Amino acid sequence: MSTNVAIEIKDLTKKYDDKVAVDGINLEIYKGECFGLLGPNGAGKSTTMKMMYCSALVTSGELYVLGLNVKKNYREIKSRIGVVPQEDGLDPDFTVLENLRVYASFHNIPSAEADLRAQALLRLMKLEEYQDRSVETLSGGMKRRLAIARGLINSPEVVFLDEPTTGLDPQARIWIWDFFKHLKSEKSTLVLTTHYMEEAEQMCDRVAIIDDGRILTVGKPRDLIRELIGKEVVEFDTNPVDLNYYLGRLRAEGFSYQVIKDTVSVLVKENQEGRRVVDLIASDKIYIRKPTLNDVFLKLAGHQLRDE
Amino acid sequence: MKFKDYFSIPKMNDGALKVWSRNFLYFKKTWLVSLFWIVLEPVIYLGAIGFGLGAFVNNMGGMSYIEFFFPALLSSTAMMVAFFEGTYGNYTKLTHQKTYATIMLTRVGPEEIVGGELLWAASKGFFGVMGVTIVAMFFGLVDSYRILLVLPVLFLLSALFSCIGMIFTSFARNYDSFIYSTSGLIVPMSLLSGTYFPLEQLPMGLRYIAYLFPLTHAVAAVRGILHQGPILWIGVHILVLLIATWICMNISFFRIRKKLLK
Repeated sequence: MSTNVAIEIKDLTKKYDDKVAVDGINLEIYKGECFGLLGPNGAGKSTTMKMMYCSALVTSGELYVLGLNVKKNYREIKSRIGVVPQEDGLDPDFTVLENLRVYASFHNIPSAEADLRAQALLRLMKLEEYQDRSVETLSGGMKRRLAIARGLINSPEVVFLDEPTTGLDPQARIWIWDFFKHLKSEKSTLVLTTHYMEEAEQMCDRVAIIDDGRILTVGKPRDLIRELIGKEVVEFDTNPVDLNYYLGRLRAEGFSYQVIKDTVSVLVKENQEGRRVVDLIASDKIYIRKPTLNDVFLKLAGHQLRDE
Repeated sequence: MKFKDYFSIPKMNDGALKVWSRNFLYFKKTWLVSLFWIVLEPVIYLGAIGFGLGAFVNNMGGMSYIEFFFPALLSSTAMMVAFFEGTYGNYTKLTHQKTYATIMLTRVGPEEIVGGELLWAASKGFFGVMGVTIVAMFFGLVDSYRILLVLPVLFLLSALFSCIGMIFTSFARNYDSFIYSTSGLIVPMSLLSGTYFPLEQLPMGLRYIAYLFPLTHAVAAVRGILHQGPILWIGVHILVLLIATWICMNISFFRIRKKLLK
């Protein structure tokens, strides 16, 4: 394995009893990149990530993190990675600072060193004035920031973030994504799961789109959008009667499209013109927009990413 | 799942002590509450049953009622405190607080979590014993070096009920599940194990059942040591406790490891 690979996955599967959660995944994640696992709830992205951070057993296949086998070297892996789980898992018995101290003790960080790191992280996460507050009194955004600080206390080489912004209000989300930009600028390797397509598009160097425990595609968000969708999307609503007529006209003009219920999304390629579609379709509910990763997912999985 | 899997205590690193320390840190923050329930409650029993009720009892085979009751009080304190920490305490950390799941994100694994928790609940039971012992000194109940011989036995008993608590935790579906173990096992045991009255008072059949209770052996050993009973029988009772602890410790390791690693 080359030295710039942080995570290597070969034919990875995970079964819970007889239910297949992850179905033969192959993937490489490089050092220094921000990698996003995208997919609807239950697609298997959190399970895949749990196997990477050694909190779920591998059913079959190979999984190496920092060149170490998760089946054998999980203790060493866990001391070199940082994890921010979906449920923060903060200890309600303790204050903000104590949460970091206790967690540092599990990482075997000497207490003087742990205090220094905890103080620095609390400053970085804008939590220093709350350090003696019980975690129960913190807002959702502050709790998430504390969970992130906790995940960074051992100066990890890879940071795993499971749905880092889910359930937060917009301001808290923006704060956290800005912080990830800071982490990225420091060349940390970030692996995250999310349903926020726009954010994944901006943040992630590469993404894997996952559904039903399989990887549908992997690549740079912009490349995926350009190759699979095109330069823009024209979306319009219609009724079942007119639908086939419109689709016929679009086909004749060489447009590809995808249909969800009564909404048609026309995928406009580089050499095509979105205005042309507007001329073809007599609908007043028609607009042109930029294509997103959501369109990519729709094309590959045949259903909407937000569907649960 | 092989039978021998139940009997392999895993190797563990210092993470177990870190788990213990986490609990001790919390204990230090809440010592006043702990003091109330792990020391004050037994002391009230000592007053109400030992001195109050005991004043009506003249002779318990050569000793006063309070002398008869004190070993039982020490033993049941160890049992109760360790068991409740092992059930309610551990169940909270296993489920609602997700404490164990969070600890597992570090190099500390399920073996160390279980090891540390078992040691913690045993320690807490032992703290209760120490508290009661100190209070009992003021009542003149501790007048011999023999109390020092009793303390290890009581720690063993705490460890046993810490393991039994952990096993119940591994089967519990919610907090109400512990009502079965408390009302069905712990309370009857605390009443029928030669605690408040001698086993000879029990009907024949029940007396044999009482010998299945670990508390019976603990009370007999502690009473034997404090009142110079036959050494052989003291040894037998301690051996029973040791074997039971070994078995329950293995089962709790196996059960919780299976719950934490999926």
